[in-house]
Amino acid sequence: MNAPNPYKTFVKQFFLSHGCSIVNDAPSHFTVQLTNEMDEEIMNRPFYWHYMKKMNREGVPMKLTFSDTDQKQAGGIYLHAGTPKLHRLYNTAISKARTARLYEVVHQTTGQNRAMSPWLVVNGLLHFRGKYTRDEPVSIGINLIHGTMMLGMMDKIINMNFETTVSDYTFPMRPVISLSHAYKRMERHIETYVGSLDHQWAKDSLHHLEKETHLLESFYESEDIGLDSFTKEREQLDNRYKPYIEMEVINGGLFYISQETSKTWMQNEGAGTVRE
Amino acid sequence: MIEIHPDQSFIGLLSENLEHPDKLATWDGFKLAYQAAQFKTVPEFDGLLALEHLPHVDFMEHQIEAAETAVHQMNGRAILADEVGLGKTLEAGLILKEYMIRGRAKKILILTPASLVNQWIQELNEKFYIQAASPRKKQASWKEWDVTVTSIDMAKRENHREVILDIDYDLIIIDEAHKLKNHQTKNYQFVQSLKKTYCLLLTATPIQNKLSDLFNLVSILKPGYLGNLTDFKKKYKENAADKDNIQHIHSLVGHLMIRNRRKDTGLDSSKRKVVNERLSFSDEEMEMYKKLEQLKANHPSFTWLTLAKELCSSREACYMSLNQLKKNAPEEKADVYDEYIEAIGQVPHHVKAKRMTELIEKTGEKFIVFTEYRATQFYLQWYLQQNGITSVPFSGKFNKSKRDWMKQLFKNKAQVMIATEAGGEGINLQFCHHMINYDLPWNPMRLEQRIGRIHRFGQEHDVKIFNFAIKDTIEDHIMKMLYEKIEMFKNAVGDLDHILEQIPGGSFEHQIQSIIKQSESQGEVDIKLNNLVSYVEHTVNERRESS
Repeated sequence: MNAPNPYKTFVKQFFLSHGCSIVNDAPSHFTVQLTNEMDEEIMNRPFYWHYMKKMNREGVPMKLTFSDTDQKQAGGIYLHAGTPKLHRLYNTAISKARTARLYEVVHQTTGQNRAMSPWLVVNGLLHFRGKYTRDEPVSIGINLIHGTMMLGMMDKIINMNFETTVSDYTFPMRPVISLSHAYKRMERHIETYVGSLDHQWAKDSLHHLEKETHLLESFYESEDIGLDSFTKEREQLDNRYKPYIEMEVINGGLFYISQETSKTWMQNEGAGTVRE
Repeated sequence: MIEIHPDQSFIGLLSENLEHPDKLATWDGFKLAYQAAQFKTVPEFDGLLALEHLPHVDFMEHQIEAAETAVHQMNGRAILADEVGLGKTLEAGLILKEYMIRGRAKKILILTPASLVNQWIQELNEKFYIQAASPRKKQASWKEWDVTVTSIDMAKRENHREVILDIDYDLIIIDEAHKLKNHQTKNYQFVQSLKKTYCLLLTATPIQNKLSDLFNLVSILKPGYLGNLTDFKKKYKENAADKDNIQHIHSLVGHLMIRNRRKDTGLDSSKRKVVNERLSFSDEEMEMYKKLEQLKANHPSFTWLTLAKELCSSREACYMSLNQLKKNAPEEKADVYDEYIEAIGQVPHHVKAKRMTELIEKTGEKFIVFTEYRATQFYLQWYLQQNGITSVPFSGKFNKSKRDWMKQLFKNKAQVMIATEAGGEGINLQFCHHMINYDLPWNPMRLEQRIGRIHRFGQEHDVKIFNFAIKDTIEDHIMKMLYEKIEMFKNAVGDLDHILEQIPGGSFEHQIQSIIKQSESQGEVDIKLNNLVSYVEHTVNERRESS
């Protein structure tokens, strides 16, 4: 085996976190026992489940075997960038976790109750669209007490522990800045950020759009095409070339983080923060 | 400043869900969604991301290049005009996949001849992991389906037409687009009025007769690009001799069209060697052949030709026809044929069958043997079995599972496959590289199709082809008249099959049949065939000069 298969960990974690169990775990393949809910969600057999429920019977959820090699004899679903099942899991994962409220796990046994600061954390994708296409992930956090903005937020917290309930001897602080206000600031930041980028791609797209539009207009003027097809083509040129950026939020939530933790970020990477 | 389209719904959703803790995610779930989005990210402007998504498909270099050019240079409006058999469908699928991954294409319409609809759906599913739907009689959810494959005839039906014209398609693919060369047809106008962002036209023959065919294809992609039709025609006519002018058109079209030729793709690395074997009838066979000529006196020449050709294939084939003639004849005349039927029973084994067995035994290789006649097929199976050689039959009429089964048997067990007709969507037998054309069809392009079964992608060996013909018979005549002449200029132009399809007054095959049916004597047949061949030669030369 060369590089480890990057999708394997994702798939295992996905199923484990949704209550499925791994019943067989070999070096090159593993088998997952689905739960009823997961089977309904990803296996495309609505009639089966409909029937079982109608008959008041217990359905039997399926097992799925995944493999990180292409060997036919080993069987199982080969995990690679294009595996359809994998894309099904991506979509399920995203649709099931659009929003959250999470508390940092703090092991505090004695002493004063510790205050936890509320943060708005938003993960998104910037879709650059025009003659070319590309995406850029963004992850931003804003402290809802004093407005500190943190970029690359997910990288900072990904190895921390969070729970859906607040740890003992800690208390969540009430936000001072509203969610929508904080979110507006994020949008403004993205505008500034986008403004600072080199947009050769957009210039190219615009240039191309102008050239094609010009050509189309000359066809219309010389009566090579009628008004109908001119209007239609003109619209389609915009579709194909007009550069724009679409901001799509993947997920986001209200995160309560201890000040000790956030302090270390500010000390380590002052550059990553933006203060107003 | 670049427009930014914000996400306006998210923050409302968050505020609402915070009131309903059961709608909130766990930390694990939150991280998984984040990771999933990273995996789905389109990392860069360049290249083909689809390749990484499709590790199970072995794309050829020219297919990858074609897809890159179509996406990144032609910006999604292109004519894919590779020669037959170079994988235009794969190129189109790759482009489609790329646009889907890049989030540019969601609503897709694929228009293809009805006979290819299922093949497209299957290929999209197996090779590209794309689920496509196709309308049946009552069921057609044009609006709901993301990827739809159908025929133009179906799409332009009254109850579908308006719905389809109302949809903004991101990508439209039109297979066999040369059928749209005439801008006055309903099909052309229908296609012209579809709403589309990207568009791919697939054809192996972008120019069938005239440059104006090309004009009409280009007009679907870029209206006005070549001026208007009247001017275009005038310009082209006036200056047909003017090379610069034509070159100008070609360079314009070059921005829209990708055309790979067999010889540029390295596909010809395996060569084909054609051996024409002229065999002699034994005395008894020749006597029989001569005897048949007596029939010429009171039968149409077509009858004699058929019987003669059949005798060159096998006694059995000829016997079957004689029997049929007897059955169809009025009772008092039926006896006429008894003498021939009697005689044919006396003829010994066929000289070709012996030669075939020799060849197969000598090389010990797998062979595919083609014959025009079912009776010959049966006879050869029996004959091979007598000689201890294993064989399987094949016919284009077999259903799919039987075809696959026979192919499997041939691949793993049998040494010889005896096939009657290649059939349009026949089978691919790259594992075999010897072929015997046991008898010769009237149309040389049929032979080309047969050879195409084994001489195609994935053939690693040189391909050896034996054409059998019997000396001093009609077959010898066909070989000299048609095959050798056409073979001579075949290599010059790849599109010969289409020239042969486009002869005024019917296809080549059709022409030959009517020549044979209508001619009174062998001499007349020869003259007419000669004319036909000259006409083809002339068209080829003309085409060669203009391209």
